[in-house]
Amino acid sequence: MLRFLARRTLGALVIILLISAITFFLFFALPSEPALMSCGKNCTADSLAVINKNLGLDQPVPVQYWHYMAGIFTGREFSAGHCPAPCFGYSFANQQPVWDTIVDRFPTTLSIALGGAVVFLVVGVGVGMLAAAFRGTWIDKLFSSLSLLGNALQIYFVGVLALAVLVSGLHWMDNPAYHPITEDPVKWFTGMLIPWLVLSVIFIAGYSRMTRSLMIEQLSEDHVRTARAKGLGRSAVFFRYAWRGALAPIVTIFGIDLGSLFSGAIITEFTFSLHGLGRLAVSSVTGTDLPMLMAVMLVGCTAIVLANIVVDAAYALIDPRVRLA
Amino acid sequence: MTAFLSVRDLSVRFATEDGVVRAVDGLSFDVERGRTLGIVGESGSGKSVTNLSVLGLHDPRTTEIEGRILLDGQDLTTAPESVLEKLRGNRMAMIFQDSLTALSPYYTVGRQIAEPFRKHTGASRREARLRAIEMLRKVGIPNPALRVDDYPHQFSGGMRQRAMIAMALVCDPELLIADEPTTALDVTVQAQILDLLKDLQQQTGSAIVLITHDLGVVAGTADDVLVMYAGRAVERGTAREVLRSPRHPYTWGLLGSMPRLTSPVDEPLTPIPGSPPSLLDPPPGCPFHPRCAYVDRVGGDRCRTERPEPPEGRGAACHLPDGAGRGRTR
Amino acid sequence: MTPTSRFRKDRARLTAVALTAGALVLSACSGGGGGGGGGGKSQGPGEDKTTSANYSIGTKADSAGPAPEVPGAKKGGTVGVLQRDAFNHLDPGQIYYIDVLTNQLLYNRTLTAYKFDDKGRGKVVGDLATDAGTASDGGKTWTFTLKDGLKFEDGSPITSQDVRWGIERLYASYQSDGPLYIPQWLSGDGNDFRKALPDGPYDGKHLPSSVLDTPNDKTIVFHFRQPHADAPFATAMPNVAPVKAEKDTKQKYDNAPFSSGPYKVGDYKVGKSLTLVRNEHWDPRTDPIRHQYADRFDISFGHQYADSTRRFLADQGSDKTTLSFSNAVAPEMTEKVLNQADTKGRRLLEVQPYVDYISFNTDRLKDVRVRKALAYAIPNGQILQQNGGATAGVIATNFLSPAMDGYRPTDPFDKKAKPAGDPEKAKALLKEAGKLGQEIVYAYANTDVQQKVSVVVTQALERAGFTVQKKEVDSNTWRTAIADVKNKFDIYRTSWGADWPVSSTVVPPLYDGRQIADGAQNYGHLDNARVNADIDRINAIPDVKQAAPEWQKLADRVLTDDVPGVPVFYNRQFSLWGSGLGGVKYHPVYGSVDPTGVFVK
Repeated sequence: MLRFLARRTLGALVIILLISAITFFLFFALPSEPALMSCGKNCTADSLAVINKNLGLDQPVPVQYWHYMAGIFTGREFSAGHCPAPCFGYSFANQQPVWDTIVDRFPTTLSIALGGAVVFLVVGVGVGMLAAAFRGTWIDKLFSSLSLLGNALQIYFVGVLALAVLVSGLHWMDNPAYHPITEDPVKWFTGMLIPWLVLSVIFIAGYSRMTRSLMIEQLSEDHVRTARAKGLGRSAVFFRYAWRGALAPIVTIFGIDLGSLFSGAIITEFTFSLHGLGRLAVSSVTGTDLPMLMAVMLVGCTAIVLANIVVDAAYALIDPRVRLA
Repeated sequence: MTAFLSVRDLSVRFATEDGVVRAVDGLSFDVERGRTLGIVGESGSGKSVTNLSVLGLHDPRTTEIEGRILLDGQDLTTAPESVLEKLRGNRMAMIFQDSLTALSPYYTVGRQIAEPFRKHTGASRREARLRAIEMLRKVGIPNPALRVDDYPHQFSGGMRQRAMIAMALVCDPELLIADEPTTALDVTVQAQILDLLKDLQQQTGSAIVLITHDLGVVAGTADDVLVMYAGRAVERGTAREVLRSPRHPYTWGLLGSMPRLTSPVDEPLTPIPGSPPSLLDPPPGCPFHPRCAYVDRVGGDRCRTERPEPPEGRGAACHLPDGAGRGRTR
Repeated sequence: MTPTSRFRKDRARLTAVALTAGALVLSACSGGGGGGGGGGKSQGPGEDKTTSANYSIGTKADSAGPAPEVPGAKKGGTVGVLQRDAFNHLDPGQIYYIDVLTNQLLYNRTLTAYKFDDKGRGKVVGDLATDAGTASDGGKTWTFTLKDGLKFEDGSPITSQDVRWGIERLYASYQSDGPLYIPQWLSGDGNDFRKALPDGPYDGKHLPSSVLDTPNDKTIVFHFRQPHADAPFATAMPNVAPVKAEKDTKQKYDNAPFSSGPYKVGDYKVGKSLTLVRNEHWDPRTDPIRHQYADRFDISFGHQYADSTRRFLADQGSDKTTLSFSNAVAPEMTEKVLNQADTKGRRLLEVQPYVDYISFNTDRLKDVRVRKALAYAIPNGQILQQNGGATAGVIATNFLSPAMDGYRPTDPFDKKAKPAGDPEKAKALLKEAGKLGQEIVYAYANTDVQQKVSVVVTQALERAGFTVQKKEVDSNTWRTAIADVKNKFDIYRTSWGADWPVSSTVVPPLYDGRQIADGAQNYGHLDNARVNADIDRINAIPDVKQAAPEWQKLADRVLTDDVPGVPVFYNRQFSLWGSGLGGVKYHPVYGSVDPTGVFVK
């Protein structure tokens, strides 16, 4: 297991390095004048040159890349000031080290992603298992229709509806907002509840349908029949054998979903006026804040690659056949 | 006095999207303690369905079962699930065909063997583990105390099948149903497994139903033989009777299509022409008539219109006069 | 404002963005933005104020503090502020957009400022200065004297050297986003002024006293290259403000400006939130316009119009004491706001100094009769409808906004009576010119609203006898495309906002033939010697009050005789706020909600 993890981590590092190189060259090599982005509207050739020099953009791109990567570990000096490690550069837009902003936004994204994931995983898988257990009955049909409905809904629609009803209409909940869990766990929870629920609606539909079909598939597996032939009770067969078999694909998809949630849930953030990595990504794109965009992408990629490693590890725990491979 | 396992007029129907499938139709047979019944037939003939019905493993929402299945006098078709759960793996057990898919890949062999033992005897985890090791030793797994913690995929095919037998026998069942237990294995392993079954039967005196499409397996193992075709019994008798003097053209075909070590190597096999009929819409009269070479030997159109009576005791469900085909055996 | 300042208002939709090799597809969709389609129907909201603005130069008495008490005002409490877009600047030198212009009122004091009475009449008064300045040398030299008792947030006095520093730092190359009137008037047009003081004051150099003089701590003297009668308006721009040299952190000043106003920066999370807290060293007796009623302003960004409108409508909890500087009521919620009775006392609908035009390329459409026919045919009412209807604007009848001083409601193309255009008149003109079926290349940006607008415009033009060739242009390159003098389009939407309510900031940039250049704003490419001469004549009038009607006359003459375009609608700001706030009023120059007198009830 340790060797497995070590190997995968090494591989992940290579992938992240590759992605960083590709994005860096794409961003800094393709637009002819990155400095233009931070030059403002009364831009002159002189001020452009100054910016190029200050940002090191006058150097060859591979050299820039080297400085960039080295800066992550050692920090860098800019005309705007010292950028301590991990230095992902200075933002073109706000004259602050990019990392500070990432660190400020990441807890929001983490809260949205983890909380939402818990809700949609528990509810989605639970509903799917119920539907599979009562396959063909009204319970199954009800859940199937609800999941179709959930699938057709969009976050901004459900979100606006939830706000209008739960907050403005019934006054049951506060406006969604992020409060650090370390400062006030109750406020953190109540502020995040609506985003979690709304984010979950869409995922629940997918997870319940996936779980249902996986469970039905597993229930017709030979080894599940064997378990029944051994005299095991219905619930033992259902949970110990069928569910165990359905778990691996669920975990795989979950890992991927979680990974992409860690890189930001844009629509959720916009609907609920939250400031996570998703909004940061969008604002850095619209504002062509390349260092910020680069960092957000690196964080996003790292989250996805990490999620993949965790998925692989979890897969190995679930399925002994993978362990030796 | 009924037999230990007595199946009477069993009919099994499945509701499918295309219509109702009559998988088993009016089947009766008996198995006594200490004896082995071989049920022979092509795939789709209803052999496996019959035995899954005995264990009550069909989906009750899509399956309709008529007739009676008596285990030691108790009717299983009407027994509640809780009663069946107590019988399964305990008094009656099943060995499945493909041990690779029939064992769960997620749990150790030992755990899967120990599981029914704990459930039915209330043994502790430790006792059950010791029992699993003992069973593995009994079925001839070398180093059982080590291999008990292996996962199925770490076993070879023959070892897995042995493990499966160990699992089925862990509670000393009085009825053992073996569904094609050797099909997936090579010939030497096949013989070992069959010997093992026989040995174990001698020790425990259980009744065995051996399902196979291979008459060679039956020849070495079974006391009695039931030949099934299209969900019906077409011939029955002792193994010796059926193999020596088969009476049904289908049995002749099965024997003809069986490779024999004693045959000259250049003698071609003669498979039965055609394929088994659709159970959604079985042919009228004798279900075998579309493939039967002897339809014209029977007077009138009886094979096509009249359903032959199922055999009682020694006999065949065929309109041909007894002995008409005796000369076909080799 | 320059046309670029309109950019943020129009940026209603965020583009969908795809990141990383297929792994995560991020897509975003914001709520309806300013001028977003649909929503408000053109039934009269009953708050239709299109009366002319009236500005004058205030006296010394007008300039003296403290500001008149707001009736019922109380001290204390926190005012919440919901904004859609994050502030792009706090550095007063860089500020130009409506949201940050409004925000800086709270922490940044300027040489002069606008003071409005309760009838909406405006005066330019001295803010830091004792009055709105004294002109000499034929309007080329302007002298301002600072008040006593002015202090920065650390209690240190504000001197004329601090104001000089604030102006001189505008010469540094990193200062790129703010308006540049004062440095250009002092030192050179375009970006040439920067040569007078490269790197600004940072390496110890200063402008010579013949250009910018501080004879003592209280006096600052501007020596402009030309006469500028509207200098008191220019010195009300946020970058004519004091910056304390030792606190000037250059680019980083954007994150921590040093306050001279009633509030100072408490906590700033760039892109996310800004808290302004009381500045204890601000002395109300020196300030003619600002109050310090609330303890703090909690400003948070990322609130789509739909979100802020929902909160104001629900009016509960902390949202009761919340407002927005520039978020408009979401178009889809307009009806609801108008119909909900309790919003009456806490909303405003006012004309902004922004005008939407359709410009005619006079290089391509040389026959003035064709241009006149176009002007008649353009369906102002329907275009406004696509932009959000009556709460988003008022049908424009001439080139100048009602927010401008000296505005008169002239209507040469009969737009008030015929909001859908006058196809008959247009057709008659085309026939007369022998140009029936004239082909028009109509360019528009590929935004939601402009695509809808293009449909009604095309229909109207075809009804009037034109043949329309539509050219859709990517919205990202739109401005560059139409600002290209050699563009291959006949008509296109343009817009203009005045930096101050004097039409010298409108007519010359839009219609002076000598200002035709790539990227400049004479989109119709009008170059008429008579118009150019008139511009020079009116610019030389030393009194802005006398100049105002002249500008209106010239603008009307350009519209009737030269027709380099047609005005379509005057933008309006429709704002709503929480019921727990008092003293909320409109800022006619910025076109936003003025927070300086706001208090928590």
